[in-house]
Amino acid sequence: MALQELHYTFRATEPQPFPLGWSHSGVVGSGDMEVMFERCMLDGEIRFKVVTPVRGFERVWEQVLGRFVNETNLADVSVEINDNNATPVVVLMRLRQALKEARKEAEG
Amino acid sequence: MITEESVSWDSLLQDTRARLAAAAPYVQAGKQVAAADAVKLLEAVLRPGDKVNLEGDNQKQADFLAGCLCRVDPAQVHDLHMVQSVLSLDRHLDLFDKGIAKKLDFSFSGPQAGRLAEYVRAGKLEIGAIHTYLELYGRYFIDLTPRVALVAAYSADRNGNLYTGANTEDTPVIVEATKFKQGIVIVQVNEIVDQVPRVDIPADWVDFIIQSPQPFYIEPLFTRDPALITDAQILRAMMVIKGIYAEYGLQRLNHGIGFDTAAIELLLPTYGEELGLKGKICSYFALNPHPTLIPAIESGWVRSVCCFGGEVGMEEYVKARPDVFFIGPDGTMRSNRCLAQTAGHYALDIFIGGTLQIDRYGNSSTATATRIAGFGGAPNMGCDARGRRHATSGWLRCGEEYGLQQEMTGGLPRGKRLVVQLQETFREKMTPGFVEELDAVQLAKNAGLALPPVMIYSDDLTHIVTEEGIAYLHKCADMQERMAAIRAVAGYTDIGLQEDPQETAALRKRGIFKTAEDLGIDPARANRSLLAAKNMRELVHWSKGLYTPPARFHNW
Amino acid sequence: MTDWQALQQKSFYEATARERANGIVDAASFTELAGPRDRMSSPHLPALGEAIEFDDGVVTGVGRVGKHPVFVISQEGRFIGGAVGEVHGAKMVGIFQLAQQAYAQLAAKGADSLAERLPAVVISFETGGVRLHEANAGLLAHAEVMDQIQNARGKFPVIALIGSKIGCFGGMGFVAAATDLIIMSELGRLGLTGPEVIEQEMGREEFNASDKALVYRTTGGKHKYIMRDCNQLVEDSIGAFRTALASALQQPYAEIARCRRIGSEALVDEQLALAELSCEIQPQDARDVWAYFGNADAAAIPEQTTADFLRTVRRRP
Repeated sequence: MALQELHYTFRATEPQPFPLGWSHSGVVGSGDMEVMFERCMLDGEIRFKVVTPVRGFERVWEQVLGRFVNETNLADVSVEINDNNATPVVVLMRLRQALKEARKEAEG
Repeated sequence: MITEESVSWDSLLQDTRARLAAAAPYVQAGKQVAAADAVKLLEAVLRPGDKVNLEGDNQKQADFLAGCLCRVDPAQVHDLHMVQSVLSLDRHLDLFDKGIAKKLDFSFSGPQAGRLAEYVRAGKLEIGAIHTYLELYGRYFIDLTPRVALVAAYSADRNGNLYTGANTEDTPVIVEATKFKQGIVIVQVNEIVDQVPRVDIPADWVDFIIQSPQPFYIEPLFTRDPALITDAQILRAMMVIKGIYAEYGLQRLNHGIGFDTAAIELLLPTYGEELGLKGKICSYFALNPHPTLIPAIESGWVRSVCCFGGEVGMEEYVKARPDVFFIGPDGTMRSNRCLAQTAGHYALDIFIGGTLQIDRYGNSSTATATRIAGFGGAPNMGCDARGRRHATSGWLRCGEEYGLQQEMTGGLPRGKRLVVQLQETFREKMTPGFVEELDAVQLAKNAGLALPPVMIYSDDLTHIVTEEGIAYLHKCADMQERMAAIRAVAGYTDIGLQEDPQETAALRKRGIFKTAEDLGIDPARANRSLLAAKNMRELVHWSKGLYTPPARFHNW
Repeated sequence: MTDWQALQQKSFYEATARERANGIVDAASFTELAGPRDRMSSPHLPALGEAIEFDDGVVTGVGRVGKHPVFVISQEGRFIGGAVGEVHGAKMVGIFQLAQQAYAQLAAKGADSLAERLPAVVISFETGGVRLHEANAGLLAHAEVMDQIQNARGKFPVIALIGSKIGCFGGMGFVAAATDLIIMSELGRLGLTGPEVIEQEMGREEFNASDKALVYRTTGGKHKYIMRDCNQLVEDSIGAFRTALASALQQPYAEIARCRRIGSEALVDEQLALAELSCEIQPQDARDVWAYFGNADAAAIPEQTTADFLRTVRRRP
């Protein structure tokens, strides 16, 4: 079965910009993922594209990504995830780590 | 009316004498029987329907005798009732394939779980019950007394005195139950020596000794390579240390097997030290000699470790730390599983371990619909010891917090064992760790078991730790609240998705549910740099070269 | 983006491909080319339902070591075992082509500045060889990389770094052998057929792949160093690899090229003599060979620290 592409769009309540023009982090190991953030004008939205071999977890992805947006209020950023069986815990952890790294880098 | 002549009070003894006489042709000097005669010996002493204990322990296996038992003539020896704690070798089930054995009472069958379930379905094997270790040992002295025991020892002298050393494990309890009910004890030994290092089993409890062609098989069951510990496991370990160990000042512990507990052990000298907890937690363990405990021992955290069994490669290290381990006058460890389980049941303040499934009420099990894995000792540790009458501060504190204390004891002080399950909300391939109904229920139906094999019942469980946080279940006032707390830690599983955020917020306010942030833990710090040892070689280094890992773990 | 100082202390074995690429060249000098943002992922894996990575499992780019432009290829073992597919291979070849261009430009400026600023290609291997999902393209990529290494001969050095989890096996074992200089840590493993495949083909009696100690004795850095299949052995840190690389690049090109273990008639004769020797001494284990070359306490070698080992080891003459 071919790889699956999932798309999600959220709108943050108090929109915050992504701290860098773009940022990449993570490795697509087994049970892991990589993520690419790219700042772009999306009218206050945040868009996710998830590429994953796992089927049947569309709702879980929506919940996990929604939680990340709620926590961070990120807006006007496109997020692409290449997944290889990462569990929701790992997904959240990687997204948080990636943002933290980006903030650190932005601060110089 | 019964006449005096018709009563025989020593029929077992008479029968044993007859069997021993039948075995006489195979006996050489003293009690020795040649390996080549072992099958004939078994055919001479076994009778159809006998209860037979084939020593299969958590680690040590009487594998040579198991192979011999598989080769007896099924026309002569059949329908045996096997009573043994662990089913781990193919041979243990081959016996049922060949019709040599029919019924099984046991404790743990992890390595053979799939095949065991298949045999039950096919009607090849009838399960009496799945026990915990202590429960099974208890029954050896009540209604499951072996008629013949086939056991393993490191060495024997020519009279039959046995040395069982670091892997004494089940041997004393099996031999005592068998011999003191006039049964027959046959031992495979790695070597026959002039003098054993120490006498673990006295010669007059032993009938036959056989030098096996190969040393007995032993599994390095408790070795975990730190290289495989994940960040999520480190996060859970940090929460356990801060939110449970430090919170209750826990000094007497048992760690279940797994990478989660290995992570806890490897965080003591780093994260634990940083929190200033040395001497305040983790001083006494009932625990196998986990290689991952070495850094904590070497940094002076651990005062005593009582072992259920040995661990391959840890022999020299253990010998060199007699202040910490239980070492005999000969200088080597002895591990008596029955005593260690008793110690664990009564003298610990906490059990912590992983599981496969937790249901929405908090019952947990490692069984799945097609695998009968059994329990081992976890339920003896993972339950409140209702007979306990000595107080420690953590135990009392847990009792004070217990939501049903007032209702059940009218307010008399009584402590409670902490029983903690470490759980990943999803395992590999997105298998959920929280479920509506345990697979064990379906398994019980499939296998015709009277009881679903539940490892830890909800009423014993006090805490669940997931990456979402810690649920302090014992603080709950009723089942409704308990189920809400479980939903709060169940993440994105179907159970977790039923969470009501307001309900969770209320539980958080009352300290029934705490997240990593609530505990003052920065999840971004949860990475492998916190581990006191990151690979097997660093464990060897910590041990000052005394630990020698088995070849399959020697990755350098 | 990455704390270069911290990377120097980091275990090379545990580091990701990107961390290695950044850490083995001078601070803040690495520029990634065809990086994740270019999204050059495999066109074949999606149809098979296999996860993809933006960089197809290899980090490529250019950095500096002293005055030398260093063209870096760093493979990521966590992504499909570092296996080489079409894009992964093309990226490797592309780096060689860039190095050739840089060489040509510098050569045009004259010999003095060329020696001082001689480019180099450095490959941090972590791979089992061909990616079976795209095997034909992967095999072709191996051939092309070999070809590039031959094209580089006589011009600029190609240096192999091996010390990552997967090791360097399969076709890439040949590629590594064809480089000028091989630097390993004792945790690095180098071979052609992987241990599991040997066990599968020859039986467990012949080679027990789950016996990790045996696998390391046969393919690990210390053994390769004794046999002179690798030139240098360093501690397991990115900094140690960088230091070794930097001091190698201070040598004249001819010195580096002299480290080659294959590629001349004399070297072929030397290898054939080794094959004869093995028939003669019939070793049952690598330890027998170590002892033959004068390491009296061969059994102790795996337990020695790298420093102790380097101090006392007797290598093949």
